[in-house]
Amino acid sequence: MTDIDKLAGSVDSLQAGFETHRYICSSQIATAVYLAYQLRKPVLIEGPPGVGKTELAKTTAEMFDLPLIRLQCYEGLDEAKAIYEWKYGKQLLYTQVLKETLDEVLQGAKGFSESVNRLHEFGDIFFSEEFMEPRPLLKALKEEDGCVLLIDEVDKSDHEFESLLLEILSDFQVSIPEIGTVKAVAEPPMVFLTSNNTREISDALKRRCLHLYIPFPDTELEQRIIHARVPEIPPELRRQLVTFIQELRDLDLKKVPAISETIDWARTLLLLHTESLDADLVRDTLNVILKFQEDIDNVDAEITTLTSKAIKN
Amino acid sequence: MDRTLTSFIAALRNADVRISPAETLDAMSAVELCGYRNREFLKETLALVLPKTPDEKHTFDETFEQFFAFEDVNGEDAFVELDGEATEGEGGSGEGQGGGEGERSGGGKGGQKKAKFSAFDEAEEDEDLGPGEMAKAQSALGKLLMQDSRVELTVGMASAAKEVNLEEIQVFTQKGLYTRKIMEAMGLADLQHEISVVRQSPSIPDKRLGQELKKRREWLREQVRDYVEKQFLLHADATGKKLREELLRKVKLSNVEHRNFRLVQEVVFRMAKRLVALHSRRRKVFKRGQLHVSRTLRHNMSYDGSIFDLHWKSVKIDRPKVFAICDVSGSVANYARFMLMFLYSLEEVMPKVRSFAFSSDLAEVTDLFERNKLEDAIAKTLRDYSGGSTDYGQAFEDFRNKCLDDVDNRTTIIILGDARNNYGDPRTEILKEMYDRSKRVIWLNPESRNTWNVGDAEMRKYSAYVHQADECNSLTHLERIVGNLLRTIQ
Repeated sequence: MTDIDKLAGSVDSLQAGFETHRYICSSQIATAVYLAYQLRKPVLIEGPPGVGKTELAKTTAEMFDLPLIRLQCYEGLDEAKAIYEWKYGKQLLYTQVLKETLDEVLQGAKGFSESVNRLHEFGDIFFSEEFMEPRPLLKALKEEDGCVLLIDEVDKSDHEFESLLLEILSDFQVSIPEIGTVKAVAEPPMVFLTSNNTREISDALKRRCLHLYIPFPDTELEQRIIHARVPEIPPELRRQLVTFIQELRDLDLKKVPAISETIDWARTLLLLHTESLDADLVRDTLNVILKFQEDIDNVDAEITTLTSKAIKN
Repeated sequence: MDRTLTSFIAALRNADVRISPAETLDAMSAVELCGYRNREFLKETLALVLPKTPDEKHTFDETFEQFFAFEDVNGEDAFVELDGEATEGEGGSGEGQGGGEGERSGGGKGGQKKAKFSAFDEAEEDEDLGPGEMAKAQSALGKLLMQDSRVELTVGMASAAKEVNLEEIQVFTQKGLYTRKIMEAMGLADLQHEISVVRQSPSIPDKRLGQELKKRREWLREQVRDYVEKQFLLHADATGKKLREELLRKVKLSNVEHRNFRLVQEVVFRMAKRLVALHSRRRKVFKRGQLHVSRTLRHNMSYDGSIFDLHWKSVKIDRPKVFAICDVSGSVANYARFMLMFLYSLEEVMPKVRSFAFSSDLAEVTDLFERNKLEDAIAKTLRDYSGGSTDYGQAFEDFRNKCLDDVDNRTTIIILGDARNNYGDPRTEILKEMYDRSKRVIWLNPESRNTWNVGDAEMRKYSAYVHQADECNSLTHLERIVGNLLRTIQ
């Protein structure tokens, strides 16, 4: 039984494992990783930006001590950038070299058919693994001891790319026309896909994945997260700022502050040697948590009430 | 246990969560791993495997609570109760047992039901017959009732439900019917007969039995009704909704009642989504200026590797332009509402929709739709432009002045209206101009074809200058027309 098996043996041990790596997660998240490991299924993670979707994959890699291979998706991403590409320069160079040595190779060949046969012996060397540049997906399959494959923001890619992913997600293999099917070497990678829901992911892709939705954390969980991430912050201030953020999320905002913003804010307040929240301080540092001027203007009027609420509770 | 899972999945499907057989298999292997022991763990596990959107997760939560709560009370817990009852033995009088049970059931989940038993045991004391010896029940159901054996009653109820095909229940008005059917299948007739016999009998114990049986029969009826209710929620609620939706697709849009708008909107969105899925794959993106290296090299291999025949990455964008001109006067307003809803739901595949509304004067409302939410935009359009008597001539005139220059050979013009021009000048020459310049002019008329030329309708004149004139008064029509539109413009 390897370390990974032991760690991924139960939801509780996973949760504890994540905690030692300063990633505080709900049991739902731990269950997802547990099932992903036990059932060898990819996990599609959805949720608002900044709740730790990418972080989950990173932490999992760190915890299992596996290499993390990351593929950032964007519009126009295609197989040449995601799976493999031929080394064209090398191919060209070799053609030139071969041209010069062609006479030697064909020396002594009698007749046309024999020459052709000799040439055939070379096989398809130009389209062999020698000339292939593996890209993230292929690399992940070739990792000997398994790895964590993170396909980030899959919703940003095109529909075509999604279809391309289907094969690797369900069978952990890719088909390369010139070579054949490449299967995962030994241990199939643990696959995480993240999506910000800018567009609907196709049903075919969803069907092949476990679907994990990470919402904003509740007060208690968020406090624990801040505690893990910014341990230096005094507990009273931590409670205040988490309450404040939670209240803020209920307002009608263009971009609601996520956990990453809470952490940034906690660090900011720590840097300013803050003991307790007050309205002026909040107003001055509001741009750390709100990223649109429109939102800042909206919240400005409410700051005093929100702050006093956060302090009182 | 697999059957529990499949019936849970059936209930989920009923609640509009789409689950494929492959996902069912996944769920089974997941459950094998996590087991049924820990309810929370089971819920979290299944929540990862089965629902795939936040909406579905929500539905899943509800269904899970409903489904497994039900199993708890009448399934597992009942077995625990059974053991307890067996050791206690069978009490003769209802009173004694009722008291014992009241104490016992304090903490258990079955407490509520037990409490009901003791409640009417207490009521029994108020009866003028007073407590005392009671005759034995004779009919099968009567015996079961008097034994207080909930497990057997539940089992009987479930099998009776199966016998009358309770899972086929479709609309809520059937609840009463099914309740009666189940009672009958459980042997209500015999019980009724027995009750009427013992109530007429002179002996006091017999009368007591009669009253007792009657109460327990009422209690049973309540139980059955609860059971039917739950099964209805699990199996039929969505079926009923489906029926309604099915109906809404076919009903004339002007007849859709206001309270159904939301549902219609859902249907529209779903139809639009399907069309988007169908057509977005075919959309090609045109990117110039990017060398397709591999193809270039491969094609040039045959020229000694000297690269002179270049290949470019070429994917085509052909963004169709759609101009929607909607008559929003009273008679057609509702149709306009749904057509606009449909067109703007298709944004992903038809990003360039410009819309115009008129009753007498024509105005562009594209901005309204860009700035506001769909429903608001539609409401505002209808509010601002629906007054005034219909004048197609004026509207076409306005259109020519405003944006006929923008119409080119890739533009599709959709006109929605009944062509009732109040005997005004139809100005067909402008329509002809539009016809000549555009790729396609489609006229959608909400009236049925045989009234197109009756009265002040000018359809005969107009239809000479359109590529296609269609009757369009239900969602099904709309879907077909927009589907065809997407096919032809791409």
